[in-house]
Amino acid sequence: MNFFSKLTSKNEQKLIQRLINGDQQAFEQVVSEYQNIMISVARAIVGEAFADEVVQDAWISAIKALPKFEGRSSLKTWLLHIVSNGAKSRVRRENRHSSLDEGWQAISSDKFDNTGHRYDDVLPWEEATPEALLANDQLQMVIEESFQQLPAQQRAALSLYDMEGIEMKEICNILDVSASNVRVLLHRARTTLHQSIEKYQDNK
Amino acid sequence: MYQCKDIVDEVNNYIDGELPLGKRVGLFFHLLICSCCRNYLQQIRSTLSIITVSKPKEDDNTDTKLLAEKLHGIYKSHQH
Repeated sequence: MNFFSKLTSKNEQKLIQRLINGDQQAFEQVVSEYQNIMISVARAIVGEAFADEVVQDAWISAIKALPKFEGRSSLKTWLLHIVSNGAKSRVRRENRHSSLDEGWQAISSDKFDNTGHRYDDVLPWEEATPEALLANDQLQMVIEESFQQLPAQQRAALSLYDMEGIEMKEICNILDVSASNVRVLLHRARTTLHQSIEKYQDNK
Repeated sequence: MYQCKDIVDEVNNYIDGELPLGKRVGLFFHLLICSCCRNYLQQIRSTLSIITVSKPKEDDNTDTKLLAEKLHGIYKSHQH
């Protein structure tokens, strides 16, 4: 069992059965749990302008296909593939392309001498649990703001891999990018968030 | 011989265990002799823990309760 919050398969089977039976609370639970990550995937593939529409269409396709859901993947992965397929068709129709380099600024090379060694000292951060650090609302705000400013593809890669614990192979299928490109997106997203937290730590 | 810049470039692949053995060992030896890079690695690890706990979300104003009601209605009508 990993540390990501997810429904156990037995609980999930029950939840799916409740959905199939038309239990309204089950609909609320599933929409509130997965709407945000579905929006993230849609924005990464098709962009902000069409994402809401793509996600709404994906929900409708999903609930119509619900009685045929065979449970070969988790409900989350199934929903993400539906939204991803919808977004990919929309991209084909709109002929839209996104660049991996959008919004990326590498760590400045003037931090290193000509042999690749650092000029500056890197000091350790204070030893504290993430929970203790996040008790400070200001840090939470710094992270939220920095996350919102990331390009959509980086936000999606970070959410799927680091927060939702989805396997790399699935992420490549969902976002329609190669594993090496997902790794680039992750590296850039984490580096940017690190820089924001570092700035916050320096100014404290 | 690996340098500080290589650590910056590869730190995430190093943490995720995505490097070939030779490169992994090379970076490990650099980390042994460079306290700045050890601190940098620790900072990136802390960043990951902070992100995992903080779980920043997409900015989305959808009223999920209303959407669920709408979908529930469509599902019910689709069944009949």
